[in-house]
Amino acid sequence: LKEMVTLQINGEGYELSIAPKKTLLEVLREDIGLTGTKEVCDSGSCGACTVLLDGKPILSCLTLAVACKGKEITTIEGLRKGETLHPLQSSFIQRGAIQCGMCTPGMILSAKALLDEKPHPTEIEVRKAIAGNLCRCTGFVKIIEAILAVSRGE
Amino acid sequence: MGSRMRLPDFQYIEPESLEEVCLFLKEHSHESKIMAGGTELLLSMKQRIFKPKYVVNLCAIQNLDRFEFDEDRGLRLGALVRLRYLETDPIILERYPIISQAAGEVGSVQLRQMGTIGGNLCLDTRCYYYNQSDFWRKCRPICIKMGGKKCNAMGKGKKCFAVFSGDLAPALIALGAKVKLLSTRGKRTLLLSDLYAGDGVKPLAMQPDEILVGVEVPTLPREAFNVYFKYRIRRSIDFPLASVAAMLNIDRKKKVCHEAKVVIGAVSTKPDELKVIEELLKGKKLEGSLIEEASDLAFKVAKPIANAGSSPSYRKRIIKVFVEKALRQGMGESI
Repeated sequence: LKEMVTLQINGEGYELSIAPKKTLLEVLREDIGLTGTKEVCDSGSCGACTVLLDGKPILSCLTLAVACKGKEITTIEGLRKGETLHPLQSSFIQRGAIQCGMCTPGMILSAKALLDEKPHPTEIEVRKAIAGNLCRCTGFVKIIEAILAVSRGE
Repeated sequence: MGSRMRLPDFQYIEPESLEEVCLFLKEHSHESKIMAGGTELLLSMKQRIFKPKYVVNLCAIQNLDRFEFDEDRGLRLGALVRLRYLETDPIILERYPIISQAAGEVGSVQLRQMGTIGGNLCLDTRCYYYNQSDFWRKCRPICIKMGGKKCNAMGKGKKCFAVFSGDLAPALIALGAKVKLLSTRGKRTLLLSDLYAGDGVKPLAMQPDEILVGVEVPTLPREAFNVYFKYRIRRSIDFPLASVAAMLNIDRKKKVCHEAKVVIGAVSTKPDELKVIEELLKGKKLEGSLIEEASDLAFKVAKPIANAGSSPSYRKRIIKVFVEKALRQGMGESI
């Protein structure tokens, strides 16, 4: 029942034999070992499993891995360049926009998708872009500050 | 949760043409589920609401994600146009603001990026006692929608009251949209309002082997006003608990209403087009007492029951508020 699929993840090709019932989230975490993408609600409500598919934010818990062939997948592991963190990652750390960290990878990828499309968003646009990413430590204020700081080049 | 939220086994089919889909469904429609964006289907499968033998993903079919607009023929949308594009496309924003609004109110950015117009129109009906995990549902008698005899939402209910909760349908019905259905028996075009059967168990008036391939929206008169209002608990993500879509063709100076289409959503098994309001307002001058009368009519028609995350009486009252707000905004008042 398994299918041979090649997935492009963070610029690298992975050739995998996967069952169609495996979600992209399960394949990332369990088959490839990229555990940066988090499993929280597993039902499309929380945004913790957000990854970028061809640059757009999607929920990997509601995406079949077999349906991702030929697409470029970006996870949180793909953001830093060598030893240098992505500006969003640095900004989140600097401004204390992380508490438990479970929402952070999804939050940062949603923010990246926004800034790639719109480098200078308003605060409302930032809020809307991360509306599907729940933080239960309720640190939204610092998260919004961290994203806006990157958009201002700080 | 763990393993209970994993998907059940199925065979994955990815046809490359509509013809291929139709031929496959001719043989296997009763054991297949069609997947567009997958956001609803895969969750329902995790919850064991469905355990199809085949999942037929439409993603490889060319051109189904296209849309085009021209002044004469109006807007034509392929079934796989993503909600996110409807929300942000400049032409739709300018010519059909109600479509952008309704699409933009669905779920979160991620869900709109994944979800499609075809999927949103073909949503299954929802109920607090139905859209739950297998484990949760097992604590109660099997409900009518799951094939049992009892309605868990309405103690003595003999039928299913699950609610149609799509955001796009009320908006598109208000615009007089049509849908194109395809099977090996050929193509047929239906008024979107006729797609909804009003049956909680089987909400869509489609044959099992038919697929929805496209949507046609007529050109609107330039001066037409249209708006969509949605009530839900969490503004950032939820399904509607009550919604109103209105399209008003109004002479702003004389305040005379040539045409008024009002559709209420998320309070019954289908989006309800309120023909009574259309008849009431046609050719009349819109003013306070008439607006009051129209919103009272909507209040009477809306009969939500206790099967969603907000009280039926509140949902009923907000329908009245939305209708009044839509008519007042249509007249040019800023409320």
